[in-house]
Amino acid sequence: MKHFLFSILPLSLLSLVALGPLKCSAQVDPWEFEVYPYATTPRGMAEFETDNAVVTSGHSEGGEGTAMGTFASQKMWFNAYEFTYGLTDRIEAAVYLAMAQPNGGQLQWAGEKFRFRGRLFDEDVLPVNVGWYAELEWHKTPQFDDAATELEFRPILEKDIGPISIMLNPKFEKVLSGVGRGKSFEFGYVAGVQYRWTRRLSPGLEFYGGSGLIDQPDRISDQQHYVFPTIWGELPGGLEYNFGVGYGLTRGSDRVIVKFNLELERFVGALFKSSEGRGWFF
Amino acid sequence: MNRRLTLLIVSLFINNPVVRAEDKPSESIEITYVQRRFSPEMINVSAGVPLTVKVVNGSKERIEFESFKLNREKVVEPGQTLVVRLPALRPGSYDFFDDFHADVPEGAIVAR
Repeated sequence: MKHFLFSILPLSLLSLVALGPLKCSAQVDPWEFEVYPYATTPRGMAEFETDNAVVTSGHSEGGEGTAMGTFASQKMWFNAYEFTYGLTDRIEAAVYLAMAQPNGGQLQWAGEKFRFRGRLFDEDVLPVNVGWYAELEWHKTPQFDDAATELEFRPILEKDIGPISIMLNPKFEKVLSGVGRGKSFEFGYVAGVQYRWTRRLSPGLEFYGGSGLIDQPDRISDQQHYVFPTIWGELPGGLEYNFGVGYGLTRGSDRVIVKFNLELERFVGALFKSSEGRGWFF
Repeated sequence: MNRRLTLLIVSLFINNPVVRAEDKPSESIEITYVQRRFSPEMINVSAGVPLTVKVVNGSKERIEFESFKLNREKVVEPGQTLVVRLPALRPGSYDFFDDFHADVPEGAIVAR
């Protein structure tokens, strides 16, 4: 009996590690390395965007770095297609299709997102421009995430000082179904500093990261924190780009991620009237 | 007492007469878009004073009044007048253009 227990215990522990829940680390969204400014998509405008990120030096195990599911982050290509529409002068709606190509695998569906984003008041009415963001996410489990559905809220803060814009998007995420359901909010952040140099080419610095559950933060070495030096601007034809190389700052982060986002805006027709000049929400 | 204070703070925030930029002393300028041109194309303003720019679209086409350096982007419908508020500018030249029509000459707000 004793021998039986000794032989079954390691096997049981091994199966717990292999089949047990992966850690909650969704505070960094590798499908969207983008800092949100205060400004929203103008009313009646449609924005088509593709966000791409390749982990050139990552982790070889699932659940590590930007990989939140069973696929490893090493050589993973994250690819999202986003459609955004300016509902009013202060509110936009967006849908996303998230795809991914694991190392040696095929490009496959990884999830979807739907969100609203808005700005309060008009520019410079408040000392700091304030906006908001609410998102619902679906993930393909267990390959790309351990949580099936998540809700995310962000306040958006921006301050322009001459040609410099400072943007901060603290993130609060709640798992609605899957691993982590019943736990508290996770905290993450997206932040950036942009210098408006020329329309074609300007530099920036972006920051992404997260600390885990609000009431139970991960150890710093397990947290993910990245800094991305970026260049951004407009290409001929009105195509806007944002290119950056991200460096992981902790052991839990992937070491190097390359991102490249492209977007195009076109007027497609307004559904609602122009917002009131003295209004603050719609 | 606490309830009164809360109500006062909330009403100040909603009506926010204290923080609204339009109540601060500012300089006003008007830019009219007509026949594929902005008029005036160059405007001199005082540096260090908040600015209110009234954009009048006197044409029959929709425009996007945009300034890269000022970080502003507004769709203006035909016949519409839109107010763009700007903080106090440092001395320099600030571009503005119609992002919907590349052939429209760029204008500049020059703060001295």
